[in-house]
Amino acid sequence: MSRLGEIPIRIVSRTPAASTGTIGAGVTAILIEIATQLDRLADGGEPGAIDLRSLPMSPGDREQLLKALGPGEVTITLKGDGESTINETGIQGVWWSEYRDRGGELIAGFIEIAQVPAILPVEPDQLRRGAQQLRAGAAGAAQQPGN
Amino acid sequence: MAHYHDQPTIGEMLERHGVSRRTFIKYCTAMASALALPPLAGRAMAEQLRAALRPSVIYLSFQECTGCLESLIRSFSPSIENLIFDVISLDYDDTLMAAAGAQAEMARDKAMKDNYGKYVLVIDGSVPTGANGAYCALGGKSAVDILREAAKGAAAIVCVGTCSSFGGVPFADPNPTQAWPVSDIVSDKPIVNVSGCPPIPEVITGTLLQFISTGKVPDLDEYRRPKVFFGNTIHDRCYRRPFYDQGKFAKSFDDEGARNGWCLFELGCKGPTTYNACATTKWNGGTSFPIESGHPCLGCSEPNFWDKGSFYSALSAPRWGKAGEVSPGDVLKVVGGAAAVGAALGVASAGLSRLRQRHIEKSTTNNEAKES
Repeated sequence: MSRLGEIPIRIVSRTPAASTGTIGAGVTAILIEIATQLDRLADGGEPGAIDLRSLPMSPGDREQLLKALGPGEVTITLKGDGESTINETGIQGVWWSEYRDRGGELIAGFIEIAQVPAILPVEPDQLRRGAQQLRAGAAGAAQQPGN
Repeated sequence: MAHYHDQPTIGEMLERHGVSRRTFIKYCTAMASALALPPLAGRAMAEQLRAALRPSVIYLSFQECTGCLESLIRSFSPSIENLIFDVISLDYDDTLMAAAGAQAEMARDKAMKDNYGKYVLVIDGSVPTGANGAYCALGGKSAVDILREAAKGAAAIVCVGTCSSFGGVPFADPNPTQAWPVSDIVSDKPIVNVSGCPPIPEVITGTLLQFISTGKVPDLDEYRRPKVFFGNTIHDRCYRRPFYDQGKFAKSFDDEGARNGWCLFELGCKGPTTYNACATTKWNGGTSFPIESGHPCLGCSEPNFWDKGSFYSALSAPRWGKAGEVSPGDVLKVVGGAAAVGAALGVASAGLSRLRQRHIEKSTTNNEAKES
């Protein structure tokens, strides 16, 4: 055996859920969990999340889940320390988040059930620092010759 | 906010380095996921860390092969750069630091003095006590003396690797240097063992981060290992487990069973009695782990793994003790039996093996204590 291609590989599972088009039991359970968390958000304003890494999903299950949720109208790109994406799904308030490192590797993935993803809002101290920064910039510009 | 020695908080440090709050939340969310914490815990962890001071970390390497540090510097999430620049102040590591000789020793002494009672002491390697500690000395001091001195001012000790946790390879019979684990030398400080030969990089960084973000020692198992990473056996979370349950075993490294990816139990896999996160966190950024690459688990995160007979003898060997106690005849009998009896007996034998292992360890420790 001298070439990589000669190493025998036998495919044990062909992810039947994806090939037959029927939604698997695992995906159904996740959809019901999302629905429960949506109710909780609507009734008490409590956001929720499901960690995709903790779920034993095959690529076929993942495909089924994405298909069931459908595409939404909002896409957010975070550009800090690698490019991460947050996509709203076709179910409003359900966000599919994928965080990646600088090398593009997936470091966290989860479904967030929230009005707005928790990573986005800005804290009051950051707002104040921004205001200070702008005022300092404006004061510096006012002292420039010619102003 | 009160500042200790005018140190900035981690949040202030991050701003100076241009790391935004959102980036840090992202990084903590990934860490929370790796720690199997609820997804929203990442944000809470980020806020706790931002308000905390960067703790001083002193990393001492004793009788070891540097494999643990090689593992640590390959951490993907968080990366070692993230950890060193954002979260901790690595004040001494004789392998990573630019300083050497007396200058390095001075840096260590200064960090210990300035942060007395507050620094995290990371130990890599066992501590040889034979010949008055002469088998391992740094800057004219023996490892055992350096450990005792450094431990006095530590808030907690994190033992990285099986050598500092349980003695590891240097501790193996006949232990020519009289090497001991840290916990046999220091008894008055909280000790966390992150065992493995080497440990998984994310388990090392995750344990440090969890300690720093909460300021508390995490929940530990009976061997002082963090339960969040060492709560399950490799076997419990192994993707080959269904084959074990079906009684499908590889019997040699090149037979049909091996090519089909069947269970490696009969080839000596120690997964049923080994507690670690290899099957879930995996290695090299989640690429694979030994069983996925076709090799049985060696049980490297368990005490005395080097002295438990052949790595290629099945676990259900009738006497699973130190090397030499299991005869080849015994092993052959057991290997033949495992496949025939199947899953139920396998599960029971794994449990019995663990009990037997603890019994052997207890009696070995008692005998050694009597001898010394």
